[in-house]
Amino acid sequence: MKRDKHIPLTETVYYILLSLLEPAHGYLILQKVEELSYGQVRMAAGTLYGAIENLLKLKFIQPVESGDSRRKVYKITEMGKEILRLDLERMQHMIGITEESFKRGGIS
Amino acid sequence: MRRFKLFLDFEKEARWLNEMASEGYDLVGKSFGYRFRKSKPDNANIKIDYRLFKKQADFVDYYTLFEDSGWEHLAGTKSSGAQYFKKVSKDADEDIFSDIDSKAGRYKRLSQMYLSLAISYLPILVALVTTKAIHVEAFFNPKQLYFTPGLWDKAGADFWGAFLFETPFAFFRGFAWTAFPIMIALCLIFSYKAEQRYQKIKKS
Repeated sequence: MKRDKHIPLTETVYYILLSLLEPAHGYLILQKVEELSYGQVRMAAGTLYGAIENLLKLKFIQPVESGDSRRKVYKITEMGKEILRLDLERMQHMIGITEESFKRGGIS
Repeated sequence: MRRFKLFLDFEKEARWLNEMASEGYDLVGKSFGYRFRKSKPDNANIKIDYRLFKKQADFVDYYTLFEDSGWEHLAGTKSSGAQYFKKVSKDADEDIFSDIDSKAGRYKRLSQMYLSLAISYLPILVALVTTKAIHVEAFFNPKQLYFTPGLWDKAGADFWGAFLFETPFAFFRGFAWTAFPIMIALCLIFSYKAEQRYQKIKKS
């Protein structure tokens, strides 16, 4: 099977998609990404705005209705979930194969 | 206070605005030049993004994200392009970008804006050429731009009075059109320079 051209996802895109399994506005995404990555990934506002724009274009996320008139709220789409699943499988394979090879090579 | 300056480098522009703030001039707006308000000197951290918006709601959502993140929106409108932010929260990061691609991306958008501006001037230039509104011969024979009857037969004060009176009109008649090719050339140069900066930052 030919691999989807968006795989592998970048670390930031992966965390943004993951945080949008629940609807969230921009600033909440920033906080969730930081939380999910245990503080390893800190995105700045200008960078996140561009990333959201790009993910909307790719139809991986979509705007949803919200009571907040100043902040747009987004949610992951079915296509976004599918790409997230594909990247998860890619990483699971890498983890599995690496653990196996380490065990065989006596690396702990 | 108003200041007029043109920057093609957002880093240089931000540095200048920080210097102005350290002298006690706070940026309050940018439309026809930069507008400053006198206040107390302050060690500001100002950063600039470049974005145009189709809808007001998109623009509000955009700067609200920055304000939520600890950056005050100082200047810029829905369609001004340049957006100015000042760090106001201690907890905020030192920059409004956290990767090279987005830092470079604003130069790409700036470059595209100058290019589309150059393209939008083209039909005007074409219209001027096709309607023969442009007198290229006037460069070699500026006399034909003067319409005062018998001007060239006059002499002395009579001649100079009439000549000087008509000169500004003749000048516009003959050379006002050059503003368009000059504008187009400038826009193309600015577009090229912004593109170069984009490439340079992406490679760094």
